[in-house]
Amino acid sequence: MRYSIKFKKGPDIKFVAHLDLMRALQRTFKRAALPVEYSNGFNPHMRLSIAQPLSVGMHSTGEYLDIEFGEEVDCEEIKERFNKKSTDSLKLLKVVGIKESCDKDGKKIPQSMSAVNSASYEIRIKYEDTNGLEEKLLQLSKEDEWNIIKKTKSGEKDTNIRPMVREFKFEIKNNVLIINVAISCGSRENLSSELVSEYIKTHTENVDPIAFTEIIRKEIYGARGTNIMPLWEYFEKYTD
Amino acid sequence: MKKITDDILYRVEKPARYVGGELNSCIKDKNEVDIRFAFCFPDVYEIGMSHLGMKILYHVLNKREDTYCERAFAPWPDMEKLMRENDIPLYTLETKDPLSEFDFVAFTLQYEMSYTNILNMLNMSGMEVRASKRREEDPIILCGGPCAYNPEPLHDIADIFSLGEGEEHLNDVLDLYKKFKGKSKSEFLRAASKIEGTYVPSLYDVIYNEDGTIKEFNPKFLDVPKRVKKRIITNFNEVDYPDKIIVPYNEIIHDRIMLETFRGCTRGCRFCQAGMVYRPVREKKTDKLVELADKLIENTGYENLSLTSLSICDYSDIQNLVFSLVEKYKNQNVGVSLPSLRIDSFSVDLIKEIEKVRKTGLTFAPEAGSQRMRDVINKGVTEKNLIDSVSDAFVAGWSTIKLYYMIGLPYETIDDVREIASLSTKVLDEYYKIPKPERKKGLKVTVSTSIFIPKPFTPFQWAPMDKMTSVRGKISELRKAMNGKITYNWHETPVSYLEAIFARGDRKMCDVLVKAFENGAKFDAWTEYFSNDAWMRALKDCNVDGDFYAYRDRSYNEVFPWDFIEIGVNKEFLMGENEKAKEAAITPDCRLGCTNCGVNLKFKEGECFEGALFNKI
Repeated sequence: MRYSIKFKKGPDIKFVAHLDLMRALQRTFKRAALPVEYSNGFNPHMRLSIAQPLSVGMHSTGEYLDIEFGEEVDCEEIKERFNKKSTDSLKLLKVVGIKESCDKDGKKIPQSMSAVNSASYEIRIKYEDTNGLEEKLLQLSKEDEWNIIKKTKSGEKDTNIRPMVREFKFEIKNNVLIINVAISCGSRENLSSELVSEYIKTHTENVDPIAFTEIIRKEIYGARGTNIMPLWEYFEKYTD
Repeated sequence: MKKITDDILYRVEKPARYVGGELNSCIKDKNEVDIRFAFCFPDVYEIGMSHLGMKILYHVLNKREDTYCERAFAPWPDMEKLMRENDIPLYTLETKDPLSEFDFVAFTLQYEMSYTNILNMLNMSGMEVRASKRREEDPIILCGGPCAYNPEPLHDIADIFSLGEGEEHLNDVLDLYKKFKGKSKSEFLRAASKIEGTYVPSLYDVIYNEDGTIKEFNPKFLDVPKRVKKRIITNFNEVDYPDKIIVPYNEIIHDRIMLETFRGCTRGCRFCQAGMVYRPVREKKTDKLVELADKLIENTGYENLSLTSLSICDYSDIQNLVFSLVEKYKNQNVGVSLPSLRIDSFSVDLIKEIEKVRKTGLTFAPEAGSQRMRDVINKGVTEKNLIDSVSDAFVAGWSTIKLYYMIGLPYETIDDVREIASLSTKVLDEYYKIPKPERKKGLKVTVSTSIFIPKPFTPFQWAPMDKMTSVRGKISELRKAMNGKITYNWHETPVSYLEAIFARGDRKMCDVLVKAFENGAKFDAWTEYFSNDAWMRALKDCNVDGDFYAYRDRSYNEVFPWDFIEIGVNKEFLMGENEKAKEAAITPDCRLGCTNCGVNLKFKEGECFEGALFNKI
């Protein structure tokens, strides 16, 4: 039995790297004594995968993982048992059970990893002085081209990232620029939130040069046709 | 007081080292306790967090309602730089409070080359490194751990030493501290010096002979004990052991549950300090260990459990313990591992049970190449033992073998060293004796040699260390003699010389240590940071001759800096063992009959083989 699970990675563990987070999740499932399935072979490992890795330094209220259990467990019970054995920084938020491997039309239900379409982020950039910042951002948000060097597997490429930014909102509070964006994410088209942050930083003035830029992933989305919805909702539709 | 922020953390390597908040870390209200205790490990997080002693004492101290024990580690130099630039003092991971706000700042002494990090950590806390210069309001600096068996090189760094096993001793010290709150530090230290296992260096005077050796070592006051007896736990089965341990987010060196099965060792290897100072042997019962394993697995979610002790296969109920654990946890995907193997077929049979499917490499430590040399060090292993063991292992499907040896042992000749190569080739031959279709492919035999350093409280405490030039010569001979199919790793660095100086150093080494720290020495155990120049200048500036400590042949009537410590094993026993070493005469394992080392008489309360199923081989 497969479950798609939404969880949070709290701000206190923002510096925990992807593989370390995986290990922490595995150990928590183990402490919770949930019937997780293991792979066969010399070095069995839990059948657990993360929808979209999160960079070191970021935290999130909308992470997703897929996990296989040997038997069915009530979704609420999974959440309760896991959360009881976890730290405050790592909590399950929603559990969706996916009983079948195919939908009504016989189409395979995708893994979370391949269902990812986009993600929303909050980016908090510190400035030494925010005079004129609002005007500058209004101007930037109207532009059609945000060209920046994007590192890909094959090398560096000058890319226009603007089309991948689907939503862009901002506010300025006490010298902090708070940006809320929804951007392309996943295997088809992917834009990193760091690149958006870097673009804004290099195109505005008086950024605090050594301050940490806080990035929070809020949600990961899947798409049913033109309909974009949070992944948990996406998978819930299959269980109807 | 400035505290750590993300603006700094995101700029350093592995920031997760510096944030705390791990599963099972202890959360208390610092305003609700009487005593704040900072347990410091003078190396990076991943190493410190792998240390069993810290896990035990963190648990024992936090069990006290009146005490909050927190942790601090040496920040890696990138972090140190930013902390200093931003005026952030060294802090504990739990409350992020600076060390200077604590009642006790304790350091564990695991290896001599971590001493400069202790000084650096004190300095990063805004404290003077010298005890004699620190202020009344500064914390009490306490040191313990294996290197505390020669505490003198830190005599003016630590205020107080904890000698022997810490579980009960620290509780006694803290109880006394509570009683003395409001009184002066010196009043407390004076009273603490009367608790068994305590050494307060400022209460003792050393008088030297003209040749630099010690003439007398005396307490300054009549009420201060002349000799300090190490502490041991007498009911080891029942002593507090953590039922939950901190599970770090980032991967540490020993990222698993460690289950301590027994303390002490009966083998009597003459080079081994642990084998002498941890006597007598005391065991935990199998049912107790299984009960602890259950709780630890439930509370951590770890996927691996390692049984620990010196010479693990000597645990009197090892087969039953291993089989019970393997059987019990195989469906929960928890693996059991042994840290070391004895060189005999029994051990190989045991490991066969554990590694039924995935066979990782096997490590054996013959320690010396020739039989004569193994008898000198009383290793108690024959060539036949080794060959039978590796032969069994090859037949059972292993193909990776590691062999550990030492170079520079007392009374060693070049022929003894060459025999390391010939013995290792015999190991290789055993593999080829197995018909090709039956053996596992991918033979890999690795030989590693380390440099022997004479340690206090061993039969070799009188012996000179082999000169570095001689060791280098032996290594190059060995390289020539080694079979080309064997991978040979050798360890040869001036760090060994310094380690030797500190191992048997006296109070004069404290000045050298302070000087080396001022010259920039830190992280000396890390090749990328070790600066031999900083140390050589320090020795010169302090007018201290390192050879005096490292290369000098000592006489039996010399007073050693550590002689005032009572470990239970008689000095006469150690002398006898050294004499037997000269003759290459062996002393059998204690379980074949008492060897009269003295520990059972000096520590009447601590019976040898306490808790063991049987005390025979």
